[in-house]
Amino acid sequence: MGDWLERLSQLPQQWFDSPIAAIALTLGAYFLGIRLFKLIRRPNWCPPMLIAAVVIAGVIALLPIGIEDYNRGANWLMLLLGPATVALAVPLYQQLPQIRALWKPILMTLPLSATLAACYAVIIAAVMGAPEDVLASLAPKSVTSPIALSLAEELGGSRALLMGALLTTGVTAIFGVEWLSRILHIRDPRLIGLALGINGHALGTVRAFEINSVAGAFASLGMSLTGAFTAVVLPLVWHLFY
Amino acid sequence: MSVLRGFLWLLVFLLLGQTLVRLFHIPMPSGVIGMLLLTLWFGYRGGMNTDVVRISQPLIAMLALLIMPGVVEIFFVADQFSDQWAAILTALLAGTLLSVLSSLLLMRRYLPQSAAEGNSRSADHG
Repeated sequence: MGDWLERLSQLPQQWFDSPIAAIALTLGAYFLGIRLFKLIRRPNWCPPMLIAAVVIAGVIALLPIGIEDYNRGANWLMLLLGPATVALAVPLYQQLPQIRALWKPILMTLPLSATLAACYAVIIAAVMGAPEDVLASLAPKSVTSPIALSLAEELGGSRALLMGALLTTGVTAIFGVEWLSRILHIRDPRLIGLALGINGHALGTVRAFEINSVAGAFASLGMSLTGAFTAVVLPLVWHLFY
Repeated sequence: MSVLRGFLWLLVFLLLGQTLVRLFHIPMPSGVIGMLLLTLWFGYRGGMNTDVVRISQPLIAMLALLIMPGVVEIFFVADQFSDQWAAILTALLAGTLLSVLSSLLLMRRYLPQSAAEGNSRSADHG
């Protein structure tokens, strides 16, 4: 009997030896998050992703395993970020004629918008006295996660803080775009999509696809151009100051 | 099988992107280069490969899911930034709202009005 109990107590540790448990936990929490989200009537300040992350954190805290055990398995799931980024070529190609017709205004406004997205946050945090490593984790906050992760690493930021910042930014951007576009009477799906993609990276883009496919394609465009622009410019500007 | 063939396409373009990034020291992730290459390839062929279209939809919908595992860690390292939370949250919330406002205003000023002013909001599914 004691033998059996001992084996039972070792189970959680053994589950997380292979990535299966971490992947199952992530997917389970994702669907639970979506269900709870619908249950509490889709508040736009609390997306399913946040609920799911809290659920996962709770499970990890309850089980005798550490965040490293979870991360080791979840990294396998993160591998899909690469192919998923490549897959954005499909909406991008579908909207190519629209984009080609608009390349001038896009080229004029997008670099400025992307710069402002990083600058506002870094300036506010710097004024409030945040140290360099916090600033480095906040600067890529509007960039899609594969790019943001490599940027934060290069600037010397914290991966965990950056991911938290990405989620907060995504949620705030979705809320902000829907709220402000209503106030400003903006209904053009191209504009809403671009704003969602530039400011809200992948989370904003997924939201834009829920609005319609034009908004989604322009959001993918905004997201990828912001990512490419920030990836090139941010390290250069950063090293001027630090 | 078609989905798997599409997945292979994505992996091949991801590897191509990785190759270019390494060879020419491009300061961008291989995924983004792969995406641009695939867009160029579609343009060159004059159309999209149906296998790739079929796999891209579920993968793009997964992008939000793929951020989640990284987010979890913040709950475990929160103490590390305990005296910074006010600055971090203000910067993120106020900074993002400001940047949304400025990009909406900028785009409205410079983007020509579209003929098809779409307001078709299909029901959300996610």
